[in-house]
Amino acid sequence: MQIVINGTACECETGETILTIARRNGIFIPTMCHHDKYPGEGACRLCVVEITENGRSKVVASCIYPVTHEITVETDTEKLQRYRRLLIAFMQRRAPNSEAIAKLMEEYEVPDYSLRSLLTGKCILCGLCVRACKKIGISAISMVKRGTGKKVSTPYDEPSPVCIGCGACARVCPTGAILVTETEDSRIIWGREFPKKRHAAAGKKEE
Amino acid sequence: MKKEILVCCGPGCAAGGSFKLAENLKAAVKACAAEADIVCQVESTGCSGMCEMGPIVRIMPDDIMYYRVKPKDADEIVEKTILKEELIERLLLKHDDGTVAVHQNDNPFYAKQTKVVLRNTGIINPKKIDAYISRGGYEALKKALSMTPDGIISEVERSGLRGRGGAGFPTGKKWRSAASFNGEPKYVVCNGDEGDPGAFMDGALLNGDPHSIIEGMVICALAVGAERGYLYIRDEYTLALNSMTHALKAAEERGFIGENILGTGKKCVLSIVRGGGAFVCGESTALMKSIEGEVGEPRAKYIHSVEQGLWGKPTVLNNVETFANIPVIIRDGGDAFAKTGTAGNTGTKVFSLVGKLRHTGLAEVPLGITLRELICDIGGGMQEGRKLKAVQTGGPSGGCLPASLTNLPVDFDTLQKYGSMMGSGGLIVMDDRTCMVEFARYYIQFLCGESCGKCTPCREGLRHMRDILTNICSGRGREGDIELLEEIGEMMQDCSLCALGKTAPNPVLSAIRYFRDEFEEHIKHYHCPAGMCPELTAFKINREKCVGCRRCAEVCPTGVISGTGNEPHFIDIRACVGCGRCRDVCPKEALETIPVSLWSRRMMKGSRGYLRSVKTPEEDE
Amino acid sequence: MNQEELTAIVDAYPAKMEYALAMLQDMQHRFGCVPREGITAAASRLSCPESHLYSMVTFYKALSLTPKGKHIIKVCNGTACHIRKSIDLAEDICETLSIRPGGTTADGFFSLELVNCVGACALAPVMLIDNTYYGNLTRKKLKKILASYLEEKP
Repeated sequence: MQIVINGTACECETGETILTIARRNGIFIPTMCHHDKYPGEGACRLCVVEITENGRSKVVASCIYPVTHEITVETDTEKLQRYRRLLIAFMQRRAPNSEAIAKLMEEYEVPDYSLRSLLTGKCILCGLCVRACKKIGISAISMVKRGTGKKVSTPYDEPSPVCIGCGACARVCPTGAILVTETEDSRIIWGREFPKKRHAAAGKKEE
Repeated sequence: MKKEILVCCGPGCAAGGSFKLAENLKAAVKACAAEADIVCQVESTGCSGMCEMGPIVRIMPDDIMYYRVKPKDADEIVEKTILKEELIERLLLKHDDGTVAVHQNDNPFYAKQTKVVLRNTGIINPKKIDAYISRGGYEALKKALSMTPDGIISEVERSGLRGRGGAGFPTGKKWRSAASFNGEPKYVVCNGDEGDPGAFMDGALLNGDPHSIIEGMVICALAVGAERGYLYIRDEYTLALNSMTHALKAAEERGFIGENILGTGKKCVLSIVRGGGAFVCGESTALMKSIEGEVGEPRAKYIHSVEQGLWGKPTVLNNVETFANIPVIIRDGGDAFAKTGTAGNTGTKVFSLVGKLRHTGLAEVPLGITLRELICDIGGGMQEGRKLKAVQTGGPSGGCLPASLTNLPVDFDTLQKYGSMMGSGGLIVMDDRTCMVEFARYYIQFLCGESCGKCTPCREGLRHMRDILTNICSGRGREGDIELLEEIGEMMQDCSLCALGKTAPNPVLSAIRYFRDEFEEHIKHYHCPAGMCPELTAFKINREKCVGCRRCAEVCPTGVISGTGNEPHFIDIRACVGCGRCRDVCPKEALETIPVSLWSRRMMKGSRGYLRSVKTPEEDE
Repeated sequence: MNQEELTAIVDAYPAKMEYALAMLQDMQHRFGCVPREGITAAASRLSCPESHLYSMVTFYKALSLTPKGKHIIKVCNGTACHIRKSIDLAEDICETLSIRPGGTTADGFFSLELVNCVGACALAPVMLIDNTYYGNLTRKKLKKILASYLEEKP
């Protein structure tokens, strides 16, 4: 099967996501919550693209949109640029201390929307860490609460008894929001201290 | 002679003491049963619609309707109306011209309604399956058992029925699609997670006529080849849950559901799932996640639920009201059903009429009726002295329409074209004392707490919209705020993950579309024309109108209204907190709003609108 | 709370994830909250991570981690109630009981919640105390109702 992305015909299989196809063909689509190792989540929405089928166009998240028939895709229209700028501004207000987001702000020339916010921190709630922890079968952390008050945390915000200190969550985090304190013989993560030796073994297993 | 006393025990009437009333009536009937040759049965029914006039008692077969009946009226009703066939005039509805309404259809609230979905609600005791059967219940199921699945689906297609949950997707098409997919087992799900604040028709239906929903679900299961079904019902709906649990048990005993439906060897097992209290679970994919025992976060619908729904299997999910229509369609035929309503929008819709109307309650009307008919004829028009300003339909996913558009027909397509939607049937009527900015802010604040928080546009968009709107309402609005709201709204509509997020900006965008002046008035002139935003409201007493009745002075919490009896009063605006209680009690409409000057805003700083900005602890920041 | 009751609640359902919500709701009804032990018990019955259930308890509004007061006042702030000034009533309750929405009085007698629509819109503004509806509320009526509850207080 074939789809057309930004005017280029791309070979693909049914069920593949637009993002996968685009990346294989060297077409860049920005993402935050995507990681090749984990299934798409469609949370950050930075990867939105415009697709046209049967003469109708709509905006979809490329990381989770499965291709089932021939469509044309545009990844960088004026509208999408506008949307992305606003999304990045939102992320910046959510995570004002993140350098990764600050860099994105510059890259995409995000204007000042004069949005007010009192939040501090670096987490944009993309949920990659939760997915990573789940994938290795631990699930020490999860999404807590809902709506605008949502956050990532261990149960009761206490050191988790099931955490193995592997640090997978921190490694996948796109904004460096998970605090890992390394000392010579221990690592502290999510408020719990792990002696070095044990964590090294666990880390290897995860990779 | 056989008589029946129907006591409405819907939530509205229950609040007025109808359980006690039913008990008293039963006792009164029992006490005099021996002395007359009248067999009288007292039945507790579901919601009879005109909740605001409850508790409602209806005596059959004479069709006498009593309103605002107190438990202590029981003896009198039995003594006079049942035994002596006398009317108790004070319990009848009085028209404006002084005449009384004896029968149900003498009341304009009921006269214009067409009851299809609510055919049994308020008439039968939901706890008695025989009452349902005696009114033609489960006949459609028997008929469906003799039909082919394709035959059932064709009938539903011919009826033109569209999903009553809000989106209006053709029901027959959904079923056909689900039937076409392979995958075992298949599921049927009933969405009874009515979360729209201001709508209560699904709850009334679940409580008042549970068997019609069960019957609809079983027919659906037969049509698409499902053997398992779930009813997802809000945990807060105690009465509905109770009623439905009872009904499921009764239906199983009679063999209408279960392992072997009426001896045909066909199978359909239904069970109830209690909702966890999340508006987002009204979104179909979130609801399915919730049934699976997960957090109710929606997923993208790029693959439809009819193909991969509950546990990844083909699933038909319909709303309570949709299912309640099915037995009628199968029994009378799709073509007969399609005669009601308009082409493309067939059948009826139940609305919960609320707000500043004279008569609030539950009303079922044919689609295509105008908003004006709904508001003026059924709702009895606005409360005395108030002017219609806007109508909100579709709850937090819908939008508002100004008074000038009340000639629009109510159907799926028209309302959408004008920036609102029919939604699940909440219809809120607002008067000139409702501030549209504050109203939009209310919905956004609601959604901030109800969004699942998974995707950036919805979670962050709502948060910033709320902040901007709160600022506008409290006099901190800035030039460009309206444009920014529009920009955020457009992005949310296109980029959000689920239908909830995509429709979340609608209340704001529609308010801006029709009431832009009011937003500007707030931002530029520090004035809330409706007098609802306390920080932007100061009151002035119109000396021409004031008669010096002192009512305003009596309710003023800060005691800033002075004046002696029969002389026009005066408000010391420096200490006025803008609560508007004076205006609420003024019989002469002498209180007018004026812009709050910069000087007085400084003076009043800190003393105003404190609870409106109080946040519940669950919230962020 | 006792362990036996907890076990009874958890064992009343098959060990399948789809019953997680029902288990947690039963705990909420029985104990006025979902206790820590409850999450642990349900997690081991369902063989799922505790974090998953913790996530659910914080997600669903019907569930809470902290115990509620003896009487739960739910002031409806659904749309119909909102435009009939339900916030003013909530404000009155806050003042009378020195309580904030979402909070519980110091003596554990009342909890106040602002809720979204209790399905009695035609009677707006409405509040529920425990499972009793009070409709068409006014400040005067509210005062009377609260007083009647406070009477039973020792």
